[in-house]
Amino acid sequence: MMAATTQSDTALAPPDASKRERGGLGGQLVQRLGLLLAFVVVLAVFTALRPDSFLSTGNVQNLLTTQTVTLLLAFAVMVPLATGEFDMSVGYHVGLAQVLIIGLQQNDHVNWIVAAALIIVLGAVIGLFNGILVAKFGISSFIATLGSGMLLFGVTNWFTGGQQIVGSNLPEVFTNISSPVFGVPIPALVAVVLAIVLYVYFERTVAGRSLFFVGSSRRAAELTGINVRRTVILAFVVSGVLTAVAGVLLGAILLTGTASVGPEYQLPAFAGAMLGATSIKPGRVNVIGTLLATLTLAFLFSGVQQIGAPFYVQYFFNGGILICAVGLSIFAAKRHRERARS
Amino acid sequence: MTSVRPPVLEAEGLTKRFGGQLALDEVSIRIQAGEIRGLVGENGAGKSTLIKVLAGMYRPDAGRISVDGTPLTRTGPSPQLAFVHQDLGIADELTVAENIAFTVGFPRRGGLIDWSQVWELASSTYAKMDLDPPPPKLPAGRLSAADKALLGIVRAISRDARLAVLDEPTASLPAPEVAYLLAALRKLRESGTAILYVTHRLPELFAVADSVTILRSGRRVSDGPMSDYDVDSLVEHMLGRRTRERISAGTPPVPGRVVVTVEGLQPAGGQPVDFEIRHGEILGLVGLRGAGQDQIGRAMTGAVPTLAGTLHVDGAGFRPSDDLRARMAKGVVLLPADRQRESTGPGMSVQENLFPGPRNRSGSLINSSAERTAATALLNRYDVRPRRPEMPIDQLSGGNQQKVCVARLLSRPQKLVVLEEPTAGVDVGAKADIHDLVRDAAASGVAVLVVSSDLEEVAALCTRALIVRAGAVVDEATGHDLTEERLTVLAASSAPAGPPNPAPEGQS
Repeated sequence: MMAATTQSDTALAPPDASKRERGGLGGQLVQRLGLLLAFVVVLAVFTALRPDSFLSTGNVQNLLTTQTVTLLLAFAVMVPLATGEFDMSVGYHVGLAQVLIIGLQQNDHVNWIVAAALIIVLGAVIGLFNGILVAKFGISSFIATLGSGMLLFGVTNWFTGGQQIVGSNLPEVFTNISSPVFGVPIPALVAVVLAIVLYVYFERTVAGRSLFFVGSSRRAAELTGINVRRTVILAFVVSGVLTAVAGVLLGAILLTGTASVGPEYQLPAFAGAMLGATSIKPGRVNVIGTLLATLTLAFLFSGVQQIGAPFYVQYFFNGGILICAVGLSIFAAKRHRERARS
Repeated sequence: MTSVRPPVLEAEGLTKRFGGQLALDEVSIRIQAGEIRGLVGENGAGKSTLIKVLAGMYRPDAGRISVDGTPLTRTGPSPQLAFVHQDLGIADELTVAENIAFTVGFPRRGGLIDWSQVWELASSTYAKMDLDPPPPKLPAGRLSAADKALLGIVRAISRDARLAVLDEPTASLPAPEVAYLLAALRKLRESGTAILYVTHRLPELFAVADSVTILRSGRRVSDGPMSDYDVDSLVEHMLGRRTRERISAGTPPVPGRVVVTVEGLQPAGGQPVDFEIRHGEILGLVGLRGAGQDQIGRAMTGAVPTLAGTLHVDGAGFRPSDDLRARMAKGVVLLPADRQRESTGPGMSVQENLFPGPRNRSGSLINSSAERTAATALLNRYDVRPRRPEMPIDQLSGGNQQKVCVARLLSRPQKLVVLEEPTAGVDVGAKADIHDLVRDAAASGVAVLVVSSDLEEVAALCTRALIVRAGAVVDEATGHDLTEERLTVLAASSAPAGPPNPAPEGQS
């Protein structure tokens, strides 16, 4: 009864929508390209402050190599995030994968390709497990993946016995993964290829569109015939595979297996994905936004370090950025809604 | 009732305007202590607006309200007026006593909650109103539907309210519990509380109300003691004369072959129903809120589980185990009433909303430019404005959003479409457009089932209508009977008005 008189939304409908948007076009463009702008500003400022070291080949190559892991993990949280689900297990999961790729070669003499393949299959299984917990048993994704992450952390420590595994006799093919080819680090190339694949998945496949429809309205998705359960499970499987690949690359970069490595990637991954969602396609996680956000944060942090900030500043960065990114996206969504209503 | 005391509620000349539209036009209402006043009117007559003005949610453009002779000056809610909405706002997991204490305030001792007082408070609150209290420690979720409604009412008036405004308190109650609740309301009246009773169920008014106020198009068209009215005269006042002459606008149905057969179909919580839809027919399914008509449409399309029975559509048979996707794949689809939550993906573009499902692609990748062209073509054909496929759907008006949803459904080959409230919250122009689209679809051989509480719409759009009460199909209206007036009477009756047409006996 209270909802009986809703005709008012039509009386105020937008034949003048174009006018309103013309006014806000500049603002929209800034929002769309904000991250690109921020990235350019970061590059310019720190190049000016540290002209010798900031954009040196060494620093850039180093950043591209190490940030590949963060980027892939940002992608890994981004896919379930598109459906509105959190994956809090990627940090622990990447730690396990990293320990396995070193340990399997060093201790069990498994060929590196076989080891990598095993880890990726295991990654898919871990994703499947998360997905089933969330989509089938209806456990809140935040809780389910926090729990499964801790389980994985247990497995990692069990595997290493709490010791660091030093990769002393790893094959050269493997140790060379982190070195550059024609000046571009191989991990960065892997990331570019995966970014393209993900981009196509998000923008050009029905499965990708389903992710967003599920994230927008689960009930509407269901009633339009989308298999919501399968969509969510698939998102977690993709997340698991991406995390496993990131772990293999992390192993090749570090060349040692340490159980404590991994969890510290969780927040930067979320910061990248969420900050990415404020730009390019505002309000939606997207590949290019995540890519730009991760790069911007990496170069920003590197620059701040170079002008003499202590190591612990990174925690302020990641925590602050996460809050700001989510705050920004809520603000953007709110403005979007208000614009829709007025 | 003819006391020298001032009336509990006296409102005079209340006027409220939205934009150019008069939602309330000098409405006056006067209620005495211990009086139960019915408030009736069709959807959009101004009942909600009147309640919201009384509640202080809207500031009236003109008029004044006094309670017990004291004018209300503030715009906020008055503690002397209690409002009980259909959604009672009761926490099922908490006990009866806690639910009461959250409204009345927790008794404390030394700053901490005094639990023995909390249990006591629950019983004394009921006792003050001469009602038998339920066990105070019982979780509210375990109460019967009527007791839960009563808890909501008791709780609302427990802070010395003089008048309780009840908005369709029996809408979701099964028939035996309605009688129980009405009996409780009569006791409340004896304890001196005045009640403004809003309902669509007209026979209830004759059971419980002392008097009635009838609104039409924002005006008070009639009021007086219940003894001055019967159901027919109430309906006549509610609708005016305008529907008298209007016979169904649809062409007299030439009975085609049977396309849809429903046999013993029983949605969860409903009765088994049987009916048929013929070629070219637009069948309406009407009933009061909570009567179960929407569950029937949803069970047919697989949106809610079916307990038993079969559905045949153009030769294809469906069993209860066939889910929504299986039915969709064979052209049995639903247009849900709730656009925001069940029909559109807010934040997604119009184009994405037009093509959300798995069947809109050539090859395995979406061809974006081809999709854009297809989307633009649909926007043209279904006259969606503005014609911008990339626009987020929630920036469109309600009517245009609905056209997008209709386009999504009807632009593909379908066998049976179930439309829930197809034009709710839609402007007049879009409403006519959508009706035309539905008629075209029916003419092209799609079986159409319209589940709508807009009886005027059903009378105008449908070729035949079934009336649902307590989950069962109890009556049918066709031809000259298919008027808004007749449908209102049929839907509001609590006993079968005519011979139950194709329905099984089963409702109480």
